[in-house]
Amino acid sequence: MQVDIRTKLLIVAIFSVLALVYQDPRILGIILLLNLLTVTLFRISFNIFRGFKKFIYMYAMLMIIQSFFVKSGEPLIKLGNTYLLTTGGIFYGISIILRFLILVGSGLILVDCNTSELLLALVKLRIPYEIVFMIQMGIRFIPVFINELQNIFSGIQLRGVDLRKVYKRKVLRVYISIFSPLIYSVWLKAEKLSILLELRGFRKFPTRTYYRDISLKKLDYVVISLSLIVTVVLVYVLRGL
Amino acid sequence: MAFISLQGVSYTYSGRKEPAVRNISLNFGQVEKIAITGLNGSGKSTLAKLILGLLKPQNGEIILDGRPVGKYSLVEVGEKLGYVLQNPSQMMFNTSVYNEIAFGLKWRGKSKNEVHHLCKRYLDLFDLWDLRGELPFNLSEGQKQLVALSAVLALQPRYLILDEPTKSIDTFRKKKLKDILQEIWRQGTGIMVISHDIEFVAGFNGRRIHMAQGEVVEDAGRYKD
Repeated sequence: MQVDIRTKLLIVAIFSVLALVYQDPRILGIILLLNLLTVTLFRISFNIFRGFKKFIYMYAMLMIIQSFFVKSGEPLIKLGNTYLLTTGGIFYGISIILRFLILVGSGLILVDCNTSELLLALVKLRIPYEIVFMIQMGIRFIPVFINELQNIFSGIQLRGVDLRKVYKRKVLRVYISIFSPLIYSVWLKAEKLSILLELRGFRKFPTRTYYRDISLKKLDYVVISLSLIVTVVLVYVLRGL
Repeated sequence: MAFISLQGVSYTYSGRKEPAVRNISLNFGQVEKIAITGLNGSGKSTLAKLILGLLKPQNGEIILDGRPVGKYSLVEVGEKLGYVLQNPSQMMFNTSVYNEIAFGLKWRGKSKNEVHHLCKRYLDLFDLWDLRGELPFNLSEGQKQLVALSAVLALQPRYLILDEPTKSIDTFRKKKLKDILQEIWRQGTGIMVISHDIEFVAGFNGRRIHMAQGEVVEDAGRYKD
């Protein structure tokens, strides 16, 4: 289904707000199902969710940590006076996991979007071009930052240093010593970029034109209306839960 | 037995149709001096990355010191091979030039005195000792290149792979680099230089492999088992 990027942004906003407003895992479960259905309608692959298997221990820890702090519900595992696992903890743990999955699922809706279209959509939503440009640069710098980090770690290993075998306290020292030059190098890149922008006349004139244009079509109006109706119905139906 | 052996190695970057390296079979001896030449995009750097295990070949096999490269961790590869990247900035991650050289030495368990001695020795090689307190990112590209080189040379690897080592350095230091490489080769270190600097390669006096479109088109002075 090909819709305008603003339609997608609205859907993402709806899912994100719903995920943050509701706490009940049953409701969040329903929202997640709708989210996955939307992702399917947009024909986007679910492959990213496979990676979450790695975090299974983190999820389990989340439930245990929640049990420590959330004293509601029945205790399931108790050590002296300390609750190790409570039904309340499980409840909140599951809520956090579901919220996380909804937010990731919402992000997936935008995965196949063209960056320049996304930025044009933001401009059309009356967001100042300077801010939009900053977002564009932010998106552009994520892979640069990841690449720099990968190069540094490869560089360390190729100098024969195995961080896994280094004593943990020292590893922290290595990470700290790596991050300051890394941030400095990214800052230097940003500075060079700003000079290049000035040289190319960035913000020389108050307005700018765009080669590409985007416009809402019939399908967008249908999808936007449907999304709003479903949201209102959902909020109405779920108010009793 | 060859120290590095490539057997029918091919590699295509994702999203590209044409392979960067196609069906390459080469053997490199432990104390060989090799210059790999070719135009931009001919597959020279890709070949180096494959040898180091930074890229995994889709076809063929690479044997390093008797074992497939894939069986080594990057740390183990680093213990056998010293590598200087084409872009030296990518190898800098310390807060001073001195620490850049000292980093690998310290973590390899060298004593404070040894670290200091080696740092001084290898920074002096390229007249960089006065810059020891500088932040590496603030150096010129040529100076960065020399710092990256010194950092790898200080580790005294058994085999050295240098990707475009003369890219940004001046004529005087280029000559000095040639002499240093000649010296460490005489001491028993294998050297592979990837370069399109014809002048530098011409005076290198070693085996010369020329690449074009991912293939070896000339191999003068082949290594014999």
